[in-house]
Amino acid sequence: MPNSAGLYDQRELSPVEVTRSLLDRIAAYDGKLHSLIRVTPEVALAEAQAAERELMTGSRRGPLHGIPYALKDIVETAGIPTTGHSKLCQDHVPAADAHLVTLLKAGGAVLIGKLATWEFALGGPSWDLPWPPARNPWNPNYLPGGSSSGAGAAVAAGFVPGAIGTDTGGSIRGPAAVCGIAGLKPTYGRVSRRGVFPNTFTMDHCGPLTRSAEDIALFLQVIAGFDAEDPGSEDVPVPDYRAALTGRLDGLRLGLVEHWYAHGAHPDLAPAMSAAVEVLRGLGAVIEPVQLSSLRDYTDCKTTISIAELYAIHEKDLKTRPQDFGRILRNRVLPGALIRAEDYMQALRWRTVLAREQALALKRYDALLTAGALNVADPADPNQPDRLVSSPSITMPFSVGGLPALAIPCGFSRGEGLPLSLQIAAAPMREPTGLRIAHAYQLVTDWHRRHPDLH
Amino acid sequence: MRTDLSRLPPSTPEEIRAMTRRAGLDLPEELMQQFIAVWPAFEAMVRRIPRDLDRAAEPAHSYRPQRIVRA
Repeated sequence: MPNSAGLYDQRELSPVEVTRSLLDRIAAYDGKLHSLIRVTPEVALAEAQAAERELMTGSRRGPLHGIPYALKDIVETAGIPTTGHSKLCQDHVPAADAHLVTLLKAGGAVLIGKLATWEFALGGPSWDLPWPPARNPWNPNYLPGGSSSGAGAAVAAGFVPGAIGTDTGGSIRGPAAVCGIAGLKPTYGRVSRRGVFPNTFTMDHCGPLTRSAEDIALFLQVIAGFDAEDPGSEDVPVPDYRAALTGRLDGLRLGLVEHWYAHGAHPDLAPAMSAAVEVLRGLGAVIEPVQLSSLRDYTDCKTTISIAELYAIHEKDLKTRPQDFGRILRNRVLPGALIRAEDYMQALRWRTVLAREQALALKRYDALLTAGALNVADPADPNQPDRLVSSPSITMPFSVGGLPALAIPCGFSRGEGLPLSLQIAAAPMREPTGLRIAHAYQLVTDWHRRHPDLH
Repeated sequence: MRTDLSRLPPSTPEEIRAMTRRAGLDLPEELMQQFIAVWPAFEAMVRRIPRDLDRAAEPAHSYRPQRIVRA
């Protein structure tokens, strides 16, 4: 993306040409990936032409001026259907843009379309919804993770240089991990949630998925900031994220949470993580093991809070039209009906305890390292059992903590040839630290430059 | 001992039906059967939540009156 912006400035590349080229690529290849549930060519070309006119006069609105992107279809867009990938909202056309869409428009970004998601950012992959589940560009017989499934697939497929997803328990980092791209869940309150379908009010985050950490920095620069109309938004100045990308890690102390992926993970993950740790050491970081609570604890705490809040959000529809939900979402949310008030409150109190142990660790270390996913992508099999509760998640700990957490590729599995991922988490509002580590790693590795063959 | 709830026996299908009715849900039988199949894993999860936190342990949400009323 920085190259695109530079070429725009030199008039060697045109936003309209780039947009047309991406629309052609989507038309050619998305038929088997289903990453977009709605392409918006008229909007895209109009925004690209407007960007081109302004750039031709030497006026630049910001780092995303003329850069195409796509939105997870739980992010509201005025006049463009926003469905949540659900039959319940199939005809929902918002009157207003989500706050982050307003920021992207003001920054001159070019909306290519709306992306597939798990139903209401939770229920998936599902085969009983109005649109099919997205597939993984590295192998369409596999899934791209979720819930920002279309975002992961579209960026990995080269349909857009960046996408906006949402992450409550790992829905940005998971797809980024299994699609071989970068994805950032910012600090809770860093990016406004206004105009985004809720999942879990106390854990919902919006953030970018792109190919590189540098591109993440450019997207975050545009969408970060205080929104007085989001009760969770934090009034904290937005730093220059790209300025943090120094390329070196001298003086940084990193805590490695190895016990989270030491057992039960894909056999190629631990060697890939060890190699990544050695690369980071070579860049100047001091890395030591850290012990935190188990993934089981974090997953139980997060999931109890989530299903209680989700049930409150969907109670009316679950009581009046339960058959209109996909089977997976319905069966993940209905249990919220039987969560007692004391269960929910105990989970919220437990969250404080778990978040505090992370905060204490981050007093000793500048960032925490672990894997971005415990396994490679799942096969696209409608009969796979639902593992929401049974399989602990390696992304949920930093959802519980509300910390900025970034997934970047760190290798490929030998058997399936599918991406493996490294996860970096930092203290609240320390996105620059996470981005600095990821960028330095990507300067000396090439995992993020590999592209799936779509032919 | 962090909690004693995990020692409780799992709810029976009849108990699950009764709890669901008390929650105001009137599910078609096919959906009820699905719910009866998935609830035990969630029940076990909820029973693993620690019940012995310090009395002063605050829940991880806060009430900020100035932020409740939208601008």
